[in-house]
Amino acid sequence: MVPILEVSGVVKRFGGIAAVNGVSLRLEPGRIYGLIGPNGSGKTTLFNCITGVEACDEGAVCFRGHRIDGLRPHRIFHLGVGRTFQTIRVFPELTALENLLVVTSGAFAPASERARELLRFVKLERLAGEFAGNLSYGQQKLVEFARVLMTDPELILLDEPAAGVNRTLLGELLDAVRNLRDRGKTVLLVEHDMKVVMGLCETVFVLDNGEKLAEGPPGLIQSDERVIEAYFGR
Amino acid sequence: MRRWFPPVLVAALALLSVYPLVATGYGIRVMLQLFMWIALAQSWNLISGLTGYVSFGHVAFFGMGAYTAAILITRTGWPWPAACLAGGITAMAFALLVGWPCLRLKGPYFAIAMLGMNEVLRVAASYFEGLTGGGSGLSLPTMHTSVPIYYGMGLVAVLVTALTYLIITSRFGLRLMTIREDEVAAEAMGIDTLRYKLYAFGLSAVAPGIVGGLAARDQGYIEPISVFPLTTTITMIVMALFGGKGTIWGPVLGATLLFGVQEVVWAKFIYLHQLLFGAIIVAVVLLMPRGILGVLQQRYGLPRTI
Repeated sequence: MVPILEVSGVVKRFGGIAAVNGVSLRLEPGRIYGLIGPNGSGKTTLFNCITGVEACDEGAVCFRGHRIDGLRPHRIFHLGVGRTFQTIRVFPELTALENLLVVTSGAFAPASERARELLRFVKLERLAGEFAGNLSYGQQKLVEFARVLMTDPELILLDEPAAGVNRTLLGELLDAVRNLRDRGKTVLLVEHDMKVVMGLCETVFVLDNGEKLAEGPPGLIQSDERVIEAYFGR
Repeated sequence: MRRWFPPVLVAALALLSVYPLVATGYGIRVMLQLFMWIALAQSWNLISGLTGYVSFGHVAFFGMGAYTAAILITRTGWPWPAACLAGGITAMAFALLVGWPCLRLKGPYFAIAMLGMNEVLRVAASYFEGLTGGGSGLSLPTMHTSVPIYYGMGLVAVLVTALTYLIITSRFGLRLMTIREDEVAAEAMGIDTLRYKLYAFGLSAVAPGIVGGLAARDQGYIEPISVFPLTTTITMIVMALFGGKGTIWGPVLGATLLFGVQEVVWAKFIYLHQLLFGAIIVAVVLLMPRGILGVLQQRYGLPRTI
C-alpha cells in the first residue's frame, strides 16, 4: 500500500544547528500516530517541513506518493494536509465563525452550515460572532481544531491539541480524532500529555535532538530505556 | 443605525448630485477635491487597511494616471473620460507588475520599496522629456467648467466605497484580512496569499489612476513634482488611519473631517497647518491607532461593516 505520508531523511538547519537531522517517517492511511520528544527535539520544525511552512534543506516529503517538499503551504493544504499550530494562530480580528468560513471556497450556504455545525461540536456556537482574539486560550485552540476540520483533509497534523482544553471537552475532542480515523483519515499529533498519547495513538515516533530515537506501539515505547533516558536523564 | 442609515445616505448623494446647480465655482472645486481625497484614502484602505501591507508610495498610481491621461489627451486627442479610465487601467497594470516582486517583502521593507517606486517614477517622468515634457511639464487644453470633473470624482469616490463594501462583506475580503492577521497561518490554511495581495494591490491602484487623470484634466497643467508628491501619500494614509482603517466608512469620515478642517481653518495659517497635521499623525498613532470608527467599533462591539 502507498503510504499517505513518507518523510525520508529530512534535514532542517537553522544556522549551524540541525533542528531536524535526517528524520524518516512512514504513515499508513487510517491510523493515528503520535510524535513525542523533549522540548526542542524538532517536533514542530518537522511539522513545518511537512506543511511547507519551512523549506527542507535535505530529504524528501511525499504525500500519497507525490513529492510535496518545495511546494508552497497553500498548495499542500489543498492536496489534503491540514494542521493546527502549537502557538495558537487563529485570526484574532475575525469572528470564530469567520475563522472557519475563510478557509472554504465554493457555495456559501453549505460552508456556513458546516461551520456552525463544527462550532456546535466544540461547544462554541454561542460565541460564533465573537472575535476569535477575545476567546480564552482553550477556546482558541478549539476554533483552530474546528477550522482544520472545515475542509475535511486526508492527513491532519495536530500540534498539542489537548493543551489548555478543559477536561470534559477533551474526551469529546479525542473521540473526534478517533472518529476521523474511523472515516479513513490519518492523524499525526504532537502531544506532551502521555495519557492522551498512550490512549489514542497506534504508533508513536520519538524525536530527540532532531533525530528519530524510537518508533513503535505506545506500550513498548513507554518502557524503552533510550526514551526514558531522553525524557528524564540517566 | 441600520434603519436610518440607507435613507440618509441616499439623501446625501441626491443633494451632492444637484449641488452644482446652486454652487459657486469655488464650492465645486472644494467638493471635487474632497471626493478625490475620499477615493485616495479608500483605495489605500483596500491594500493597507485590509491586508496590512502599508503602501508608502500610493501617490505613484495617481501620478501614473495623471501622466497617462495627459499624454493621451494632448498627443492623441483622446476624449478626457476615456483618457482618465485609461489612466486607471495603466495604474492597475503597473501595480500588478510591481506587486509581483514587491508583495513578497514583509512589513517595513514593502513600505520602503513603494516609497522607492514613487521616486523612480518621478525621476522617470522628468527624464523622458519627449513623452512627458520633462521638468517643464505638460499643459492640457483649458476647460470652461469643473462640473464634469466634480461628477467624475464623485462617481469614483462612490464606486470605490461600494467596492470596499462588497469586498469587506465577502469571503474574498475575509481572506485579505487573514493576511493582516497572520500570514503564515493564512498560507497554511490554503490561502494563496501572494495572489490575494496582488488582487488587492491591483484594485487599490485603479481609483488613484482615474482621479490622477481627472485632477490633471482639471488643473490643466502637470509636472513631476506636482503629481508624485510624498505628502499626498501621507495625507491619504493619515485620513484612512484617522477615520479607521479596515472599515468601510472610516476613510470617508477621515477624509471629510481632515479635508474640511484644512479648508475651513488651516488655509489661513499655511505653516501652522503643516504643524497641526504632524500633531494629528502623532496623536492618532499614540491615542487611537484604530481611528475614530475603530474606537467606536471596539467600545460598542460594532461590526467592521461600519
